[in-house]
Amino acid sequence: MKRLYVLFDGECSMCGRCRTWLARQPAFLELHFLPFQSPEVARRFPGIADLHPEEQLLVVSDEGGVYRGSHAWIMCLYALRDYRELSLRLAHPALLPLARRFCELLSENRFRVSRWLDRLGANRLAENLAIRSVQ
Amino acid sequence: MTPIVWTYLSYLILSLSLTVWVARTLHKNGRIFLVDAFLGNEQLADSINHLLVVGFYLINIGYVSLALREGQMPIDLQGVLETLSRKVGIVLLVLGGMHFFNLLVFSKMRKRALLHRAPPPLPPQAHIPVAAE
Repeated sequence: MKRLYVLFDGECSMCGRCRTWLARQPAFLELHFLPFQSPEVARRFPGIADLHPEEQLLVVSDEGGVYRGSHAWIMCLYALRDYRELSLRLAHPALLPLARRFCELLSENRFRVSRWLDRLGANRLAENLAIRSVQ
Repeated sequence: MTPIVWTYLSYLILSLSLTVWVARTLHKNGRIFLVDAFLGNEQLADSINHLLVVGFYLINIGYVSLALREGQMPIDLQGVLETLSRKVGIVLLVLGGMHFFNLLVFSKMRKRALLHRAPPPLPPQAHIPVAAE
Protein backbone atom coordinates (compact mmCIF):
# COMPACT_ATOMS: atom_id res chain seq x y z
CA MET A 1 0.00 0.00 0.00
CA LYS A 2 1.59 3.25 -1.18
CA ARG A 3 -1.29 5.58 -1.84
CA LEU A 4 -4.74 6.31 -0.43
CA TYR A 5 -7.53 7.98 -2.39
CA VAL A 6 -9.71 10.08 -0.10
CA LEU A 7 -13.22 10.58 -1.52
CA PHE A 8 -14.72 13.52 0.34
CA ASP A 9 -17.75 15.75 -0.12
CA GLY A 10 -16.68 18.71 -2.26
CA GLU A 11 -19.75 20.70 -1.23
CA CYS A 12 -19.05 20.60 2.49
CA SER A 13 -16.64 23.21 3.78
CA MET A 14 -15.77 21.21 6.92
CA CYS A 15 -14.58 18.40 4.63
CA GLY A 16 -12.53 20.93 2.67
CA ARG A 17 -10.92 22.15 5.89
CA CYS A 18 -10.12 18.59 6.93
CA ARG A 19 -8.61 17.99 3.52
CA THR A 20 -6.38 21.08 3.85
CA TRP A 21 -5.26 19.93 7.29
CA LEU A 22 -4.55 16.37 6.12
CA ALA A 23 -2.60 17.60 3.09
CA ARG A 24 -0.34 19.72 5.31
CA GLN A 25 0.75 16.86 7.59
CA PRO A 26 3.95 14.88 6.90
CA ALA A 27 2.82 11.46 5.67
CA PHE A 28 4.05 7.89 5.21
CA LEU A 29 1.53 7.20 2.43
CA GLU A 30 0.62 9.49 -0.43
CA LEU A 31 -2.87 10.98 0.07
CA HIS A 32 -4.81 11.74 -3.07
CA PHE A 33 -7.95 13.84 -2.52
CA LEU A 34 -10.95 13.58 -4.84
CA PRO A 35 -14.38 15.16 -4.29
CA PHE A 36 -16.89 12.33 -4.88
CA GLN A 37 -18.86 14.64 -7.22
CA SER A 38 -15.97 14.79 -9.69
CA PRO A 39 -16.35 12.65 -12.87
CA GLU A 40 -12.84 11.31 -12.34
CA VAL A 41 -14.07 9.25 -9.39
CA ALA A 42 -16.49 7.18 -11.50
CA ARG A 43 -13.81 6.77 -14.17
CA ARG A 44 -11.11 5.65 -11.80
CA PHE A 45 -13.26 3.47 -9.54
CA PRO A 46 -15.91 1.70 -11.64
CA GLY A 47 -18.78 0.61 -9.40
CA ILE A 48 -18.01 3.13 -6.63
CA ALA A 49 -21.63 4.41 -6.69
CA ASP A 50 -22.80 1.15 -5.04
CA LEU A 51 -20.68 2.05 -2.02
CA HIS A 52 -22.52 5.38 -1.52
CA PRO A 53 -19.64 7.87 -1.27
CA GLU A 54 -22.24 10.59 -0.52
CA GLU A 55 -23.17 9.02 2.81
CA GLN A 56 -19.81 8.96 4.54
CA LEU A 57 -16.12 9.43 3.94
CA LEU A 58 -14.59 6.76 1.70
CA VAL A 59 -10.93 5.86 1.46
CA VAL A 60 -9.69 3.57 -1.31
CA SER A 61 -6.18 2.15 -1.26
CA ASP A 62 -4.16 1.78 -4.46
CA GLU A 63 -4.77 -1.97 -4.08
CA GLY A 64 -8.55 -1.45 -4.26
CA GLY A 65 -9.39 -1.92 -0.56
CA VAL A 66 -12.30 0.30 0.50
CA TYR A 67 -12.68 1.81 3.97
CA ARG A 68 -15.83 3.60 5.09
CA GLY A 69 -16.62 6.18 7.78
CA SER A 70 -14.61 5.71 10.96
CA HIS A 71 -12.40 3.11 9.24
CA ALA A 72 -11.67 5.67 6.53
CA TRP A 73 -10.74 8.29 9.12
CA ILE A 74 -8.47 5.85 10.92
CA MET A 75 -6.77 5.00 7.61
CA CYS A 76 -6.18 8.73 6.96
CA LEU A 77 -4.52 9.03 10.38
CA TYR A 78 -2.55 5.84 9.66
CA ALA A 79 -1.09 7.55 6.57
CA LEU A 80 0.25 10.45 8.67
CA ARG A 81 3.66 10.34 10.28
CA ASP A 82 2.60 12.05 13.51
CA TYR A 83 -0.75 10.30 13.89
CA ARG A 84 -0.02 6.68 12.99
CA GLU A 85 0.34 5.77 16.66
CA LEU A 86 -3.07 7.31 17.38
CA SER A 87 -4.63 5.41 14.47
CA LEU A 88 -3.32 2.08 15.80
CA ARG A 89 -4.81 2.93 19.17
CA LEU A 90 -8.17 4.00 17.72
CA ALA A 91 -8.38 0.79 15.67
CA HIS A 92 -8.33 -1.24 18.89
CA PRO A 93 -11.68 -3.03 19.43
CA ALA A 94 -12.20 -1.15 22.70
CA LEU A 95 -12.06 2.29 21.04
CA LEU A 96 -13.43 1.50 17.57
CA PRO A 97 -17.16 1.76 18.52
CA LEU A 98 -16.48 5.17 20.07
CA ALA A 99 -14.66 6.34 16.92
CA ARG A 100 -17.53 4.99 14.80
CA ARG A 101 -20.14 6.86 16.86
CA PHE A 102 -18.14 10.09 16.61
CA CYS A 103 -17.69 9.79 12.83
CA GLU A 104 -21.40 9.07 12.30
CA LEU A 105 -22.31 12.13 14.31
CA LEU A 106 -19.84 14.25 12.38
CA SER A 107 -20.99 12.85 9.00
CA GLU A 108 -24.67 13.45 9.72
CA ASN A 109 -24.06 16.98 10.93
CA ARG A 110 -21.34 17.96 8.49
CA PHE A 111 -23.39 20.76 6.89
CA ARG A 112 -24.36 22.16 10.29
CA VAL A 113 -20.70 22.10 11.40
CA SER A 114 -19.70 23.68 8.06
CA ARG A 115 -22.21 26.53 8.51
CA TRP A 116 -20.93 27.10 12.05
CA LEU A 117 -17.27 27.11 10.89
CA ASP A 118 -18.13 29.45 8.00
CA ARG A 119 -19.90 31.82 10.37
CA LEU A 120 -16.90 31.74 12.68
CA GLY A 121 -14.60 32.52 9.74
CA ALA A 122 -16.90 35.30 8.52
CA ASN A 123 -17.02 36.86 11.99
CA ARG A 124 -13.24 36.81 12.25
CA LEU A 125 -12.93 38.39 8.82
CA ALA A 126 -15.46 41.06 9.81
CA GLU A 127 -13.50 41.79 13.00
CA ASN A 128 -10.24 42.10 11.07
CA LEU A 129 -11.86 44.44 8.56
CA ALA A 130 -13.33 46.54 11.37
CA ILE A 131 -9.92 46.81 13.06
CA ARG A 132 -8.29 47.79 9.79
CA SER A 133 -10.91 50.43 8.97
CA VAL A 134 -10.47 51.98 12.45
CA GLN A 135 -6.73 52.16 11.91
CA MET B 1 49.98 15.30 50.26
CA THR B 2 47.05 16.65 52.23
CA PRO B 3 43.80 14.69 52.75
CA ILE B 4 41.93 16.89 50.23
CA VAL B 5 44.35 15.96 47.45
CA TRP B 6 43.80 12.29 48.27
CA THR B 7 40.06 12.89 48.09
CA TYR B 8 40.40 14.62 44.72
CA LEU B 9 42.60 11.91 43.26
CA SER B 10 40.39 9.03 44.39
CA TYR B 11 37.31 10.94 43.22
CA LEU B 12 38.77 11.44 39.74
CA ILE B 13 39.91 7.83 39.37
CA LEU B 14 36.60 6.41 40.62
CA SER B 15 34.30 8.70 38.60
CA LEU B 16 36.29 8.43 35.39
CA SER B 17 36.46 4.65 35.53
CA LEU B 18 32.71 4.49 36.24
CA THR B 19 32.04 6.80 33.28
CA VAL B 20 34.16 4.62 30.99
CA TRP B 21 32.41 1.47 32.23
CA VAL B 22 28.90 2.88 31.66
CA ALA B 23 29.84 4.29 28.24
CA ARG B 24 31.28 0.94 27.10
CA THR B 25 28.19 -0.91 28.34
CA LEU B 26 25.95 1.52 26.45
CA HIS B 27 28.10 1.27 23.33
CA LYS B 28 28.06 -2.53 23.37
CA ASN B 29 24.39 -3.12 24.23
CA GLY B 30 22.87 -0.09 22.51
CA ARG B 31 24.12 -1.15 19.09
CA ILE B 32 21.53 -3.87 18.49
CA PHE B 33 18.76 -1.41 19.45
CA LEU B 34 20.08 1.17 17.01
CA VAL B 35 20.51 -1.31 14.15
CA ASP B 36 16.84 -2.19 14.60
CA ALA B 37 15.84 1.48 14.81
CA PHE B 38 17.66 2.30 11.57
CA LEU B 39 16.01 -0.56 9.66
CA GLY B 40 19.14 -2.72 9.63
CA ASN B 41 21.44 0.03 8.33
CA GLU B 42 24.45 -1.08 10.38
CA GLN B 43 26.83 1.62 9.18
CA LEU B 44 24.47 4.41 10.18
CA ALA B 45 23.69 2.69 13.48
CA ASP B 46 27.41 2.36 14.30
CA SER B 47 28.02 5.99 13.44
CA ILE B 48 25.11 7.24 15.62
CA ASN B 49 26.19 4.89 18.41
CA HIS B 50 29.69 6.33 18.35
CA LEU B 51 28.42 9.92 18.32
CA LEU B 52 26.12 9.21 21.25
CA VAL B 53 29.00 7.75 23.27
CA VAL B 54 31.17 10.80 22.51
CA GLY B 55 28.36 13.06 23.77
CA PHE B 56 28.01 10.89 26.85
CA TYR B 57 31.74 11.17 27.63
CA LEU B 58 31.76 14.93 27.10
CA ILE B 59 28.81 15.57 29.42
CA ASN B 60 29.98 13.23 32.15
CA ILE B 61 33.65 14.16 32.19
CA GLY B 62 32.59 17.80 32.03
CA TYR B 63 30.37 17.31 35.05
CA VAL B 64 33.05 15.38 36.97
CA SER B 65 35.59 18.16 36.39
CA LEU B 66 33.15 20.91 37.35
CA ALA B 67 32.15 19.13 40.54
CA LEU B 68 35.74 18.44 41.65
CA ARG B 69 36.29 21.41 43.97
CA GLU B 70 35.27 20.83 47.57
CA GLY B 71 34.57 23.68 50.03
CA GLN B 72 35.00 21.74 53.25
CA MET B 73 38.52 20.44 53.88
CA PRO B 74 38.54 16.91 55.34
CA ILE B 75 41.12 16.58 58.11
CA ASP B 76 41.14 12.82 58.69
CA LEU B 77 40.35 9.55 56.92
CA GLN B 78 36.71 9.67 58.03
CA GLY B 79 36.29 13.08 56.43
CA VAL B 80 37.98 11.90 53.24
CA LEU B 81 35.67 8.89 52.95
CA GLU B 82 32.55 10.94 53.64
CA THR B 83 33.41 13.60 51.08
CA LEU B 84 34.40 10.95 48.55
CA SER B 85 31.21 8.93 48.95
CA ARG B 86 29.02 12.04 48.61
CA LYS B 87 30.79 13.19 45.46
CA VAL B 88 30.87 9.74 43.84
CA GLY B 89 27.22 9.25 44.79
CA ILE B 90 26.24 12.40 42.89
CA VAL B 91 28.29 11.30 39.87
CA LEU B 92 26.54 7.91 39.95
CA LEU B 93 23.13 9.57 40.02
CA VAL B 94 24.10 11.79 37.07
CA LEU B 95 25.32 8.72 35.18
CA GLY B 96 22.08 6.90 35.98
CA GLY B 97 20.06 9.86 34.72
CA MET B 98 22.10 10.03 31.52
CA HIS B 99 21.75 6.28 31.06
CA PHE B 100 17.96 6.43 31.26
CA PHE B 101 17.90 9.44 28.97
CA ASN B 102 19.93 7.45 26.41
CA LEU B 103 17.58 4.49 26.75
CA LEU B 104 14.64 6.81 26.19
CA VAL B 105 16.23 8.17 23.01
CA PHE B 106 17.01 4.65 21.75
CA SER B 107 13.50 3.34 22.42
CA LYS B 108 11.93 6.46 20.81
CA MET B 109 13.98 5.86 17.66
CA ARG B 110 13.07 2.19 17.66
CA LYS B 111 9.38 2.89 18.17
CA ARG B 112 9.41 5.36 15.29
CA ALA B 113 11.06 2.82 13.00
CA LEU B 114 8.52 0.17 13.98
CA LEU B 115 5.67 2.62 13.24
CA HIS B 116 7.07 3.10 9.77
CA ARG B 117 6.69 -0.62 9.13
CA ALA B 118 3.38 -1.10 10.97
CA PRO B 119 0.74 -2.89 8.85
CA PRO B 120 -2.65 -1.18 8.32
CA PRO B 121 -4.66 -1.38 11.55
CA LEU B 122 -7.92 -2.37 9.81
CA PRO B 123 -8.81 -4.78 6.99
CA PRO B 124 -10.62 -3.26 3.97
CA GLN B 125 -14.44 -3.44 4.18
CA ALA B 126 -14.88 -3.94 0.43
CA HIS B 127 -12.86 -4.27 -2.74
CA ILE B 128 -13.24 -2.40 -6.02
CA PRO B 129 -11.07 -2.31 -9.12
CA VAL B 130 -8.87 0.78 -9.48
CA ALA B 131 -8.37 1.99 -13.07
CA ALA B 132 -4.85 3.02 -14.06
CA GLU B 133 -4.20 6.74 -14.44
